Amino acid sequence: MIRLLFQDFSHIVVEVAFALVPLLLLFIFFQYVFLKMPREQVLNIVKGSILAFCGLTLFLQGVKAGFFPAGELIGRQLGASTNNWIMIPIGFILGFVATFAEPAVRILTLEVEKVSSGFIPRLILLYTLCIGVSIAVALSMLRVITGWAISYFIIPGYLLALLLTRFAGSSFTAIAFDSGGVATGPITVTFILAIAVGAASVMEGRDPLLDAFGMVSLVALAPILCVLILGIIFQKGGKS
Amino acid sequence: MHKAKETLREVFFAMLPVVVVVVILQLTLLHLPVEVLWRFFGGAAMVGGGLFLFLLGVQIGMLPMGELIGSALAGQGKLWLLIIFGFFIGFVVTVAEPDVRVLALQVDLASGGVISRSVLVYTIALGLGIFVALAMLRTIFNIPLVYLLISGYGMIFTIAAFTPPHFIPVSFDAGGVTTGPMAVPFILALGVGVAAVLGGKRTTADRFGLVALASIGPVLAVLLLGVIYQ
Repeated sequence: MIRLLFQDFSHIVVEVAFALVPLLLLFIFFQYVFLKMPREQVLNIVKGSILAFCGLTLFLQGVKAGFFPAGELIGRQLGASTNNWIMIPIGFILGFVATFAEPAVRILTLEVEKVSSGFIPRLILLYTLCIGVSIAVALSMLRVITGWAISYFIIPGYLLALLLTRFAGSSFTAIAFDSGGVATGPITVTFILAIAVGAASVMEGRDPLLDAFGMVSLVALAPILCVLILGIIFQKGGKS
Repeated sequence: MHKAKETLREVFFAMLPVVVVVVILQLTLLHLPVEVLWRFFGGAAMVGGGLFLFLLGVQIGMLPMGELIGSALAGQGKLWLLIIFGFFIGFVVTVAEPDVRVLALQVDLASGGVISRSVLVYTIALGLGIFVALAMLRTIFNIPLVYLLISGYGMIFTIAAFTPPHFIPVSFDAGGVTTGPMAVPFILALGVGVAAVLGGKRTTADRFGLVALASIGPVLAVLLLGVIYQ
């Protein structure tokens, strides 16, 4: 079992080394040219980099050897069943729980509470975001089943977002567009997307590249719309 | 040590619900072979443990590095330096971003190696770097965020018309994965650097928007990659 999980581990080690080297080179350049920090501080940065290296290696190996195969098989079993619509509610639930637990989401909700001076309570935004992301994941599963193009979702979605910016005020607009990334954490990308890829690979006439990918972009759109809508509510009610 | 505990708790509670949902599914709808189930549990432990170590490393090493570099650049007081290093920093942090790696790996596997993961990673990183530099220019010339967002998305939809269809979903996804635990602190630190150079005359709304603009770059870059592959 352990051996399966660490299959081709050396490839990942090399990949992560290549991923972190440019950052370290940049740091070394800064250290010599501008920073000239004392040894103690440099040592901390080296420690942090070693931790980040080990962490990223373990993370990617776990994704490749554990999450991808399991997620894809789940997707294949769901996609091949006659009730493949079940993927839609399952996507909804996974989207909800993944967002509810995401640390970046919590930071965003605190920030919005502060900007609206408490008018938009943390929990209201949290639940709005969770439901928004759930709908996005459920729509992505619907796309896998129906084969509808991503553009039909993304173009109206962003047009709506741009339209809403006219009413939401500039602070909310900036927060909204910056919050696109908060819900696209590692779990969405690694696991939920793997389920969609698995399902698309067994369904007739579906291509994982065309029909499963695009989920991340829909998930990124959900918080933008949620924050803008709450911003409009704030402008209407909270400012008086 | 307090930070480490907090991070461990966060990672644990982020992983737990997904594991619970999979167990419930296995008990009801699915019939995964035991081997795959163990792979999933083992993978979850590795992903959780790896994420914990990575986030800890970012807190100890990368966050202070980002802040120091940001303030060193701000201390130079030269805007062209900020723009050039905005590009380089955007590039190198994206190359190291976990979510970007995962997406690229998944695309590589799903396309049977046609879209190679390293090409995809470097394309995304290039796109991000260029747009971080542009986003800093925006702060300097005080151009409203909305204008840039509209023209950015306008360009995306124009180029999308010339890209092979199977590149389009991947390119939209590329915009979503760059805003991860590695990139955001660095980009925000740069934003603070810019604000320091320009003096305190800008509103808070200006500080934001850097992340939003930065996620347009990768989308454009991958769309262009598609045009080249064609």
